[in-house]
Amino acid sequence: MIEVRNVYKRYRNHYSNGWVLRNVDFTIPRGVSVGLVGRNGAGKSTLLRLIGGMDFPDKGKIVRNCRASWPIGLNGGFQGSMTGRQNVKFVARIHGNGQSVDEIIRQVEDFAEIGGAFDEPIKTYSSGMRSRLAFGLSLAFNFDLYLSDEATAVGDKAFKEKAARAFKERVGQASLIMVSHSEGILKELCQAGIWLNQGEAIWFDSVRDAVDAYHQSIKPA
Amino acid sequence: MRSSWLVTWSVWHALFMREALARTMANRFAWFWMFAEPVAFVVIMIAVRELLGRVRFATGAEFIPWLIVGLTGFFLFREGVLRSIGAVDANQGLFAYRQVKPVDPVLVRNTLEGILKTLVLVILIVGASLLGHDILPADPLGAILAWASLWLLGMGGGLIVAVGATLVPEFGVVTKLTMLPMFLLSGAMIPLHALPHDIQQYLLYNPVLHAVECLRLSFFAGYRSLAGVNLMYVWCWALPMIALGLALHIRFAMRLKAK
Repeated sequence: MIEVRNVYKRYRNHYSNGWVLRNVDFTIPRGVSVGLVGRNGAGKSTLLRLIGGMDFPDKGKIVRNCRASWPIGLNGGFQGSMTGRQNVKFVARIHGNGQSVDEIIRQVEDFAEIGGAFDEPIKTYSSGMRSRLAFGLSLAFNFDLYLSDEATAVGDKAFKEKAARAFKERVGQASLIMVSHSEGILKELCQAGIWLNQGEAIWFDSVRDAVDAYHQSIKPA
Repeated sequence: MRSSWLVTWSVWHALFMREALARTMANRFAWFWMFAEPVAFVVIMIAVRELLGRVRFATGAEFIPWLIVGLTGFFLFREGVLRSIGAVDANQGLFAYRQVKPVDPVLVRNTLEGILKTLVLVILIVGASLLGHDILPADPLGAILAWASLWLLGMGGGLIVAVGATLVPEFGVVTKLTMLPMFLLSGAMIPLHALPHDIQQYLLYNPVLHAVECLRLSFFAGYRSLAGVNLMYVWCWALPMIALGLALHIRFAMRLKAK
């Protein structure tokens, strides 16, 4: 469903121009959810952005044979000066596949449960409220593949449970590529795992093995 | 799967609604300033002319209509360029959706600005006519063509500046600085046909001057403009500028998005 073919990526700026991703190559079959692990700065978000089509690789290519969401996470995806409702309306219009805009707004409002703040500018939101809205918004569209970049990390307990439940309901119809530092949710929702280490991606058929390998690597010697 | 055109169209629709709301509802005076700016300039220039003792400014056209047409025409160009400077940055959060390209907000802003400025011009024309000034265009089709040329010129400039100012912020500062000299050199407020021919021939390199004067020529039947004013010259600037602007947007699409 997703083919990542010999992908290289670097960001050129005044400070460094080293490769963030080097020769990353894997295929994610249909219906398999994948957990991405690795230390901070290993390129997890970069890889997710590439898969989501927000950014392009410097070398290699990515083949996407499905409807993939945008990377759902803390930053990006919202315009701070617009209210929650306006942002939702905007995204509904962009993705509008015959789904009614009003229907989507109602659905997101119900899921996010942020009350009156829905009509306040996003810049006044707490990070938890933002993630509730972002997550609710992505669920309003029927994507085949959801990309989550710590989407639930700052949510409270009730929201985390709700988010996990929403995903379990979709098993079979949609799969997930998930960046997370919380093992529990990775093991709960994902089957396979990818460990990003020094720009290279290592595929594990079981997410437990990926998490274990990652933990081995950071264990103090 | 939707076709590319359908996706682009829905992006433009969504951005247009967002920009229109932000532009007109941003603060309580947003609407007010659109009219207040040209009106304020007209009032100031009338005061200046009274002080100078009613100098005959423009030949073949009434002074106030001459001023209204020139000012709104220049503002159409200026807003196209200046509003584009912030267009990419202001919508940075929305590039998370891969359907939205950095060129989209620039095009949408220019379209919106064109519509708003056209409304302003129409309302000012109606207002001035009701006050008894002779401002109805003598050649309406010509006026529309010249108006559209100014809009395209602003869009061409805007497309280029949007890339330049987003990648190199100083580019935007310099562009803003050049707008005052451009204002004077385009003959929007002060007539230039009284200047010596030696100076005029250099002023005529400025396409905005050509466009503003062509707009006035089609508004006022007996108007005497600078010799050599030509709408074709405007198009020779506008179309290559649009082409260059679009090319820059393709070349730097990733850099603009990733900023």
